[in-house]
Amino acid sequence: MPLFDPASVQAQTLRGDWEIFFGAAVVVAIIMFALILLPLLLWRRRGDALPPQFKKNRSFAYVYILTPFALVAVLFYFTFVKERSVDALVPSPYATVDVTAFRWSWQFVYPHARIRIVGTPQQPPVLVLPLGKITQVNLTSVDVNHAFWIPYFLFKRDAIAGMTNHFDLTPTRLGTFRGLCAEYCGLDHTLMTFQVKVISDADYRRWLATAGKSTP
Amino acid sequence: MIAWLTSTDHKKIGIMYIVATSFFFGIAGILAMLIRTQLATPDMTFLGPHAFDQVFTIHGTAMIFLFVAPFGLGLANFLIPLQIGAPDMAFPRLNATALWLFIFGGLTVLSGAFASGGAASSGWTAFAPLSEIRISAGAGQDLWIVGLTMTSISSILTALNIVVTVFLLRAPGMTMWRIPIFSWEMVATSLLILMAFPPLVTVFAMLLIDRHLGGQFFDPAHGGNPVLYQHLFWFFGHPEVYVMILPYFGVVTEIVAVFSRKPVFGYVELVLSAFAIAGLSMGVWAHHMFTTGAVTNLFFSAMSFLIAIPTGVKFFNWIGTMWKGSIEFSTPMLFVIGFMLNFLIGGITGVMVASPPIDFHAEDSYFLVAHFHYVLGGGSLFAIFAALYFWFPKIFGVKLSERIGKWTFGILFAGFNLTFFPMHFMGIEGMPRRVYTYPAIEHLPLLNALATIGAGLMAVGVLLFLLDVVVSVRKREPVGDDPWGGYTLEWATSSPPPEFNFTSLPPIHSERPVFDLHHPAVAAEVTP
Ligand code: HEM
Ligand SMILES: [Cu+2]
Ligand SMILES: [Cu+2]
Repeated sequence: MPLFDPASVQAQTLRGDWEIFFGAAVVVAIIMFALILLPLLLWRRRGDALPPQFKKNRSFAYVYILTPFALVAVLFYFTFVKERSVDALVPSPYATVDVTAFRWSWQFVYPHARIRIVGTPQQPPVLVLPLGKITQVNLTSVDVNHAFWIPYFLFKRDAIAGMTNHFDLTPTRLGTFRGLCAEYCGLDHTLMTFQVKVISDADYRRWLATAGKSTP
Repeated sequence: MIAWLTSTDHKKIGIMYIVATSFFFGIAGILAMLIRTQLATPDMTFLGPHAFDQVFTIHGTAMIFLFVAPFGLGLANFLIPLQIGAPDMAFPRLNATALWLFIFGGLTVLSGAFASGGAASSGWTAFAPLSEIRISAGAGQDLWIVGLTMTSISSILTALNIVVTVFLLRAPGMTMWRIPIFSWEMVATSLLILMAFPPLVTVFAMLLIDRHLGGQFFDPAHGGNPVLYQHLFWFFGHPEVYVMILPYFGVVTEIVAVFSRKPVFGYVELVLSAFAIAGLSMGVWAHHMFTTGAVTNLFFSAMSFLIAIPTGVKFFNWIGTMWKGSIEFSTPMLFVIGFMLNFLIGGITGVMVASPPIDFHAEDSYFLVAHFHYVLGGGSLFAIFAALYFWFPKIFGVKLSERIGKWTFGILFAGFNLTFFPMHFMGIEGMPRRVYTYPAIEHLPLLNALATIGAGLMAVGVLLFLLDVVVSVRKREPVGDDPWGGYTLEWATSSPPPEFNFTSLPPIHSERPVFDLHHPAVAAEVTP
């Protein structure tokens, strides 16, 4: 479950937002369900006498306009803080990967190490990231819209032709994670997946050195 | 037959809308079953990718453009002149034009299935560049664009007609603050249509120019911009969401009041909140674009949160209407209660995905599919059933069976929640929308199996409803003009109403003249 064990620094921030909203959602749902169901239990029709025919209640109106207002103000505050933190880019990231989406796979280029990895729908490519280090991704597309999604990072961003999106990823767990295209892009959209392999920094350096040589 | 085809009577037109949109719902529903069959288990090969893409595209397109939104317009056609005490709509011939434009537009979209290359398959959103000719070359995409342009123009004509009718044709005594809530909600809906549909027609025209006249609006290699398509589309698309819900807020409000045997609680607030929602909904379109990296997320997030306030007001007004009431659990009321419970969940997840940090995970996943089905299926669709059960006796002079109706409700409610609640978790576990298969990891196989069983239950519910219609129409038990103790003027005339609707009108001293007529003593006390 991605929400229970997020695998990057950014994902932990994002998960914080999920927690706050889930909490608020459960409280609001319980109160509102109770308020909807209560009259149904208490005031079923018994006989023909008409119930009291009141039409409004001014002071109650203040409560149900101002309470939601306060609630969304608080939720917006958390949204603001989390979004700022996730969107922030460090000026000098440890690593950089240029990701290009195309129908129907991905190209990962490590510009400093001259590594270029291209996948196919049948052979999804592997994105290699160093553990605990900031990798900046520069994301674009050469044809239609796609979206780069790593569920365990709780994060996705669109890949759109003619523009480049930038974001930082800082993995916190070793292992291999699923990545996929989230924006429908035609026939083989379903197969447009990739793998994210998070390895230790030492392994990463070794990989850069060897893969850089073996890739044309 | 000819009398129907050439009719300009708003009631016949309304009925034809209801029949046509129900037909499109049937098609879209069958397609939904195909989707759920393909996704029942991870290794299904029932539909190939190309068929699957057409199926979900036409399912979404038909549900939105050919069912939920135009059903509201059809209901409005039938009800508004009756509710405001008018003999017909302001422009009866325009009305007939709009109906036939809608029907032919819908059939044009569906005819794509017979084109070479099949029906449109770029999703109900048809984002460029995916929908451009170099990628979606088939005529199916063109038929989709042309057909929906026709239905859009039809909606614009109907919206004009509704606004003019409500403002100019009200019976003497029906002041602004006595217009029934459903009619008010339709005014707000119509204003939204008038603002939102012209941009949609524009974006369709641009797409056609790109496809066939060498335009480059959305091609960055030639100075175009794919994000522009999304801006124009969602500038229509978000208001469209409210075009699909405001009419049903009206339906729910009317039904809650009648079956609580009390006046609508907070009438003025309900009207103002409809316009607040309509106004705000013009300023939130880019919340569909949080992951593009091309918009000011926080602004659109804040605007979206604000919509929760007038929506909350509506909930409290419905609760206030039921409070200390004398509540009758008729079938329409059950569907209304179902609406409130389901729509509440859709509203809550709506506030969640309005927070970009959540949306970064939820966008384009099954979490989103769950969210909008709770709003449109659990909300609008349930209100449509409520409306059908409630106004069926007025429209056809026959009541549907309460016994079958209660079963229908129970099965649909259980089936709906079994189908769509698990989808929240599919999305969180990383299942994207618009895929024809998924890996057997985490809980995805279990959740998908539950959803497919639920969809089967929903199909049973819909069939039971059809059975109810057939049985009740066959039996033809007379029900009288006002079987529920209704409030608004449509209940003051015969069932079905005569041509030009009324032979005489009761005096109008409040927003529920028929109630006042039957309870003169109470009316004298309540109305100021
Ligand atoms: C009756 C039961 C229904 C079932 C079982 C059902 C099922 C589904 C499923 C599984 C999808 C996801 C397809 C995918 O992303 O691969 C979907 C998409 C969709 N559904 Fe439904 N649905 C139902 C009713 C409705 C209703 C009432 C509406 C009302 C407007 C609706 C509107 C849509 C839309 C707009 C899409 C998106 C299509 C797209 O991605 O282009 N559905 N439906
Ligand atoms: Cu894709
Ligand atoms: Cu929206």
